Amino acid sequence: MKNLEEVLRAAGNPVTMLRNSPIGAYVYPVVPGEFSNWRDEQAAWQKTAVLFDQSHHMVEQYVQGPDTLKLFTHLGMNSFASFPVNRAKQLAPCNYDGYVIGDGILFHLEESHMVFVGRAPAASWIQFHAETGGFNVKTRKDDRSPGNTKGLAINRTNYRFQIQGPNAWKVIEKVNGGPVPELKFFHMATMKIAGRTVRTLRHGMAGAPGLEIWGPYADREEIRAAIVAAGKEFGLKEVGARAYATNTCESGWIPSPLPAVYTGEKMKKYREWLPASSYEATGSIGGSFVSQNIEDYYVTPYEMGYGPFIKFDHDFIGKEALQKMAGKPHRRKVTLAWNADDVVKVWRSMLEQGDPYKYIDLPLSNFTSATYDRLTHQGKTVGLNMFSGYSYNERSMLSLGIVDPDIQLGNEVRLLWGEEGGGTKKPTVERHRQIEIRAIVSPAPYAKQARTSYHEGWRSKATV
Amino acid sequence: MRSLEDVIQAAGNPVDLLRHSPSGPNVYPGVPPEYTNWRDEQQAWQKTCVLFNLSFHMADLYVEGPDATKLLSQLAINTFKNVSPGRAKQFVPCSHDGHVIGDVILFNSAPNQYVLVGRIPALNWIQFHAATGGYDVKLELDERSAARKDPFNRKSYRFQIQGPNAMKVMEKVLGQRPPEVKFFHVTALVIAGKQVTALRHGMAGQPGFELVGPHAEGDAVRDAIVRAGEEFGLRLVGGRAYSSNTLESGWIPSPLPAVYSGEKMKPYRQWLTAESYEAKASIGGSFASKKIEDYYLTPWDMGYGSFIDYEHDFIGRDALQKMAKGTHRKKVTLALEEADVLRVIGSQLEKGERAKFMEFPSAVYSMHPYDKVVAGGKTAGISTWIGYSSNERRMLTIAVLEAQYAEPGTGVTLVWGEENGGTRKPTIERHKQMEIRAIVSPVPYAETARKSYADGGWRKTAVT
Repeated sequence: MKNLEEVLRAAGNPVTMLRNSPIGAYVYPVVPGEFSNWRDEQAAWQKTAVLFDQSHHMVEQYVQGPDTLKLFTHLGMNSFASFPVNRAKQLAPCNYDGYVIGDGILFHLEESHMVFVGRAPAASWIQFHAETGGFNVKTRKDDRSPGNTKGLAINRTNYRFQIQGPNAWKVIEKVNGGPVPELKFFHMATMKIAGRTVRTLRHGMAGAPGLEIWGPYADREEIRAAIVAAGKEFGLKEVGARAYATNTCESGWIPSPLPAVYTGEKMKKYREWLPASSYEATGSIGGSFVSQNIEDYYVTPYEMGYGPFIKFDHDFIGKEALQKMAGKPHRRKVTLAWNADDVVKVWRSMLEQGDPYKYIDLPLSNFTSATYDRLTHQGKTVGLNMFSGYSYNERSMLSLGIVDPDIQLGNEVRLLWGEEGGGTKKPTVERHRQIEIRAIVSPAPYAKQARTSYHEGWRSKATV
Repeated sequence: MRSLEDVIQAAGNPVDLLRHSPSGPNVYPGVPPEYTNWRDEQQAWQKTCVLFNLSFHMADLYVEGPDATKLLSQLAINTFKNVSPGRAKQFVPCSHDGHVIGDVILFNSAPNQYVLVGRIPALNWIQFHAATGGYDVKLELDERSAARKDPFNRKSYRFQIQGPNAMKVMEKVLGQRPPEVKFFHVTALVIAGKQVTALRHGMAGQPGFELVGPHAEGDAVRDAIVRAGEEFGLRLVGGRAYSSNTLESGWIPSPLPAVYSGEKMKPYRQWLTAESYEAKASIGGSFASKKIEDYYLTPWDMGYGSFIDYEHDFIGRDALQKMAKGTHRKKVTLALEEADVLRVIGSQLEKGERAKFMEFPSAVYSMHPYDKVVAGGKTAGISTWIGYSSNERRMLTIAVLEAQYAEPGTGVTLVWGEENGGTRKPTIERHKQMEIRAIVSPVPYAETARKSYADGGWRKTAVT
């Protein structure tokens, strides 16, 4: 089998294929699991400062040439009316029916040269259109690092770090050796680190102002050492792979919608282009939400909280479909705060005979590329749970999901934890029972700090 | 170059040095944390079979030359009379005062030719005597992956195939019944066309083989075993589950090397550098004594009392002969009470003070775990390795208790966590000590381990 379309034809139902994928957990590769311990690493992003190492888990998709802006305008639902060099924006391309394919950050590096950084699905979609859409551009993909390096050398184009947390700016100015101008959110500039000029993006992933910085991969250890040394007096901690992904449970971004590519005649060409080894053909869906219709796993940009981004001032794939959706009520993104007694019930089952409940790994509790658990309220399905973990800061299991419009903040919903019939055949799934976990519907982002200190963007416009 | 002795002098008390050391627990590199999931990987060693990859976390010391046997025999508490090419034995050197320095496996490959495999302290002690004792021997050390610049450039691969189906897998991969070999005897096999040295072993409490060969041939041998094991439910074991297997089979991986005190040991401390394992090691846990000697273990503590051979001359002989007449502590398994374990892990979801996080499946957070065990207000002993067994559905520890508390069924209390919020080790978040009740249980805990070590050894003669 050469491509996704052939894989799907052989598999029958894509839901069954993806829910039984042998691929294993979604790995955050290369970075050590813990630098100190994941509890203190989580605490540091709320209390002091952290260094995130994002050099390995994302794909970089470069696009260069006269039609670069035209290509992204064609794929992006956001307005590109004002997107000069040294700006970045969130890019969440949709399929023709208005469902999300992926989500990441697009950097305008220089005139007619941009890079998309994120999970594979959006990057592949960009590459496909660049190659087949008659655009005058060249592309280059820098794939994420392998999950198990087996001692082989890793060579990425860039290192990519973030300095975040309430003391981040102090660390940044110390390492720079002088004041660093406060940029607007998602504006790019440069600073000095260890005698080198590095590029910066004003960011704030963990709920406080910070910077993303990047440069040639070979410089990474030198840059890291300088930041760690400067951060010492400000309590900066390096964050390992175990804590890293859980920061989003507090800051409210859903990293893993299922790419909406498995159905539709218009998407067939793309499925024939996607290799059989692609994320889309090998990825996994985990959790209690079971539908025979793969389209029930698709999400809209409105559901992901990107409604305010959508601008109908240009033509783009999915525009008409989104225009039809626009006026209607939408599911919306929320945080779910899990009931402590119910979580302890799951842990208790590990100390008793008989099938336990599905193990809740800490701090990151997802066991697949894409998480889909059923949420119910008064016996009715009211939404999906899509990313789960534990927050040492909030002392709670927190997850991100989407709920029906009539579900209110403060409502207690039930999250069905675990898979039906003892579990699917995924290797990360041990035989287990399902359990309903009560959860309080809460704002996304959950962390108070994140909601009040993001000056722009979807976080500050989130439902509260 | 600074020596261990210098480091201790500067620190004042070696206990403070080691309890605040920045070193984390022993790492298991080169393998992913989980191949499938650690629950199923644990269950496979009791129910089907597993492939352990031991190629990376231990050091190998090659010893050869006319005085090789003499050198090793003078350091070992056990006899060398039964050592002959093709045999292996446990090698347990003691200090002049009769306390354990380390515990490794010794392979006799040819007359006066040995390889010793395990944690470095025992191997350092051999190197010291070889360098200073006027022996005609040649040594070559192949350090563990975590202690080298080229982590995966090891001389040998080292696998174990274990579990009730292990011999069926061996038969399949060999194309014939595996030869009858006595426990801890070596035979030559051919797997995937490669010459393999096979030690009859049984680390996880079931008969199995340890397989050794040139590192470059490891992938071919492993792939052949994995293929052969498919129909027998063979699972690869990842870094998370690996170190927890000893909780069921009852071996203590982590005696503190008894080298930090004593005038007679001073030349050795001056020989060991400030960069040595001994200078960098960490002690973790609630057992806090100002006297480093309180952390030393005797051969009886480890369950090796019956090994000691007073017929030959060896370092520590006089001291052990004196000790022999006294009372001894006993190695036991502690089965932790469910309610107390849940109180500890449940505290992560509460507003008040939290317990030291209890990691699954291995809850070890230092190189040398030492927790206090109390009974009726008195110290009953120490607890070492700690973790969860999905087979036994319990948190288990391997402890060493005064004889009066060592009877199976006795109730004792384990103190979990460190005093005053915790030491400065990076693996320690601020926490509160909590008491966990425990039932003294046989060692090894697993029924299969006790019953099927048919060829003797300490497991069979262990307290039951």
